[in-house]
Amino acid sequence: MKRANAISGIILCVFSLVMLAFVIPGQISTGPSGMMSPRLVPQMTMIGIFGLSLLLVLGSLRGGEDDHPPPFSRKELLALLRISAVFAVAIALYEIFGALIGASSLVIFGLLALGERRPLVILTLTVVLLTGLWALFYKVLGTAIL
Amino acid sequence: MEYLILAIGDVFGGTTLLWVAVGVTLGYVLGAIPGLGKAIGVAVSIPLTFYLEPVSALGLLIGIAKGSAAGSAVSAILLNTPGEPSSAPTAFDGYPLARQGKAQKALKMGLFASVIGDFVSTITLILLAAPLARYALLIGPVELCAILVFSLVFIGGLSGNSLTKGLIAACFGIFFATVGLETETFVPRLTFGYLELEDGISLVPMAIGMLAVAEMIVQAGNLDTLDRETAELRDSSDPRDRRVTREEWRRCAPVIARGTFIGAAIGILPGLGASVGSFLSYGETRRVSATPEKYGTGMIEGVAAAESADNAVVPSSLIPLFALGIPGSVIAAILIAAFILHGLTPGPLMFQQQPRMVAGLYVSMLCASAILLVIGLLGQRLFSQIVHVPLRLVIPGVLLFCCVGSYMETGSIFSIFIMLGFALIGFVARKLDFSFVTFLIGFVIGPKLELSFRQSLQLLKHDASNLLGHPIALVFLFAALVFVVMSGRSSVTRRVQMPPTTQQH
Amino acid sequence: MKCFERRAMLGLAASITIASVGLLPDLAAAQDYPTKPVTMLVGYGAGGQTDLVARGAARVLAEQLGQPVNVVNKPGAGGAVAARELTQAAPDGYTILFHSNSVVNSAPFIMDQVNFTPDDFDYAGMITAYQTGLVAHVDAPFDDLKGFIAWAKENPNFAYAALSPEARMYMDTLAEANGLEPNAVPVQSGGEMITALLGKQVIAAFSGGIHYRYPDELKTISATTTFRHPSAPDVASIEEDGYPIGMDTRTTLFLPKGTPREVLERISHALSAAADDADFKKVTDGANIPIMYMNLDEARAEIEATYAKHKGILTDGS
Repeated sequence: MKRANAISGIILCVFSLVMLAFVIPGQISTGPSGMMSPRLVPQMTMIGIFGLSLLLVLGSLRGGEDDHPPPFSRKELLALLRISAVFAVAIALYEIFGALIGASSLVIFGLLALGERRPLVILTLTVVLLTGLWALFYKVLGTAIL
Repeated sequence: MEYLILAIGDVFGGTTLLWVAVGVTLGYVLGAIPGLGKAIGVAVSIPLTFYLEPVSALGLLIGIAKGSAAGSAVSAILLNTPGEPSSAPTAFDGYPLARQGKAQKALKMGLFASVIGDFVSTITLILLAAPLARYALLIGPVELCAILVFSLVFIGGLSGNSLTKGLIAACFGIFFATVGLETETFVPRLTFGYLELEDGISLVPMAIGMLAVAEMIVQAGNLDTLDRETAELRDSSDPRDRRVTREEWRRCAPVIARGTFIGAAIGILPGLGASVGSFLSYGETRRVSATPEKYGTGMIEGVAAAESADNAVVPSSLIPLFALGIPGSVIAAILIAAFILHGLTPGPLMFQQQPRMVAGLYVSMLCASAILLVIGLLGQRLFSQIVHVPLRLVIPGVLLFCCVGSYMETGSIFSIFIMLGFALIGFVARKLDFSFVTFLIGFVIGPKLELSFRQSLQLLKHDASNLLGHPIALVFLFAALVFVVMSGRSSVTRRVQMPPTTQQH
Repeated sequence: MKCFERRAMLGLAASITIASVGLLPDLAAAQDYPTKPVTMLVGYGAGGQTDLVARGAARVLAEQLGQPVNVVNKPGAGGAVAARELTQAAPDGYTILFHSNSVVNSAPFIMDQVNFTPDDFDYAGMITAYQTGLVAHVDAPFDDLKGFIAWAKENPNFAYAALSPEARMYMDTLAEANGLEPNAVPVQSGGEMITALLGKQVIAAFSGGIHYRYPDELKTISATTTFRHPSAPDVASIEEDGYPIGMDTRTTLFLPKGTPREVLERISHALSAAADDADFKKVTDGANIPIMYMNLDEARAEIEATYAKHKGILTDGS
């Protein structure tokens, strides 16, 4: 955890400095005089983040054993990648073929990515979920959601 | 009084009761499905209100509001995916309880706390709407600003293991809340040219991403462990683990009373909202507890505190509406539309012009509390079975619902991108132990604090000495100061432990 | 009558020919309009004033057109998100936008990222007007604009609630002409504005019309429109008091540029029925929203005139 704290602290320091120096001046105009500047609150939060992450880095430099396991397990990162890929595919299919294909692909590839291999289960769950949603919104509630 | 009797006849004789039941059921089911929630229930019910009698329409809407507030505890407890920020504290202790095989106990406690909070707050509404709302008008921007400062300081204690990281998360919450058009200067902030960001990052997709999607990714990463646990997990054979024992009732009664009071008080104030209520209640309960370090490991009081306040907010947020005609919440705003649709003017005149209808509304609100209890007891049996389903079958469905829920908010795929962006942030924050709770609090309270501060500056004519004319504000500012000093002292002597966001054995 | 027969026939034919509709030439499609449900976008969230009128109007339109009219809320940037989406829709009359015309005649001069012009859309008509005005608590020691200005001269640093840039423009104009020193208190919603007035946090506010719901507690000081408000016919408009800055906003039916004239006329005619519809009137009366119907040509003339006028007011004023 100490190493993670040091790294995330450094990243946040750099992030807040970039925001303060470039992004906030570039994206927020100063606003009319006589009012609190619209930049003030975003700047305050970034200054806060800079100071606090500096504290985080300094704190992690202090000695002592690092008894925690590393924060990201390989499995979790893998899950993140898998689910991101599923979303990427589903959104791409949604843009090309529309909501029905997009939604079914989210469920099907989601199941596949999580290790479900029985075709019957995949098919049943997809059909049940989509029919359920369709019935809930279009039949029970009478509202078009798309 | 005679109107009340007439109204009881109206409600029980006609179809009104049916619509109240439909509303409660719908709200409860939508609330219980992760990713879906009140926002959707309300959106889909608007067209329905066009075709219904006024009392039925209003009963339906109120049923949805009450049902979804209680239902959102279900997904929070069973899957650790609170549908709305206001249920996040419910998950702190509810989810550990569920993983210990005490899902039914947690669900029941959550339901009972919800119903009690809801019922008492409804009675408050009926008895005290008019005088309380007048009093609430004394709470102007200056007072609100002071109350927000106080709440922020108070809830700041929920910041997790590391105060530094909790504060960083809070800063990020405030930072993301500044995106969009600033209210005073009308200057767009950090929109990067996206029109969709002009109104800011909307709470619903952000919260769904941060709370539900991120949690699903973490659980997907620990699939083997969790599924092995699920396989071993069966409802404890001890019947005491399935219901709320007398001893637990005794411990939770003051907690529920306090939660109800906090929720009802927060509801009356314009623009604070349910999440502030449930966080305040949870924080206070943990603070006064003899064993604060145990919170987050499955303390039934935590569930009771969060849920009672969460539900107590709903009826009391209608007080400004009934007494003054001012919407205090999203539901109230929709109710106004429904009133007008049926040719009624919300506000004090309603009591004189439509006493029978107002009485009918009150009766249906009380019925909604009772129906909620029944639906909840039936529903929790059914829903609690989900903990026995292997997670790999649950996660894709949850992700689908999350997409639907986010999409519905604005009817645009942009919301799904917002959801995914915050899912990533939420995932990293969880793993690095940056409290997403303080993030949410910053996000919810930050912009209100900024706006009320800007308003106060104008109202006080940029002169701090004018603050002397606002005694209520002074009291809260003083209380905040006292609290900071006190907690500064106690944190030296005691290190407060916070729940880990996901259990890892 | 003829119209009715055609509709009945269409109803029968629609289900049979629905698959082939896409293949029909444009002109025929325009004559047969509508053969499938119409999507009505609304640029504000559900439950607001405009949404309410939109849903009331959608019901009448559905009866008149003989096809369902589905209301879809696409809130964002004061309606600019919905308007932008409309510009990307096919100009066939099946996607329409019900919104305040301020998105075209005011927003471009206020928001950097919005640059619509009247020529970016076609219009099928306007139905209701917003009764925008300067309002105060009934206890306020003035009843009209002259009285307010006299009072304001005596009370520098008075606070008023401003919900929009237009509100601030009105007050700045008054302040400049009379040497007033106002403090603008920003508010985020109509409800917040009403709360500030009722709680006497502010002495005055600029309202979009919802203050008429509180007749016992709030009064209109000046109508900031070119006309007197039907809900307060005794209150003079700001133009009558010598400030030519009245800005009218009306709920308007927008269609994508290039929609066939037949389709526009069909919708415009259907909308005119709303003006006389009892249920629609009940809704608008309940919300104190006056019906002021304009057909498609009047709507186009109105939006071009107000675009030019508001441009002058809003770009010179600030």
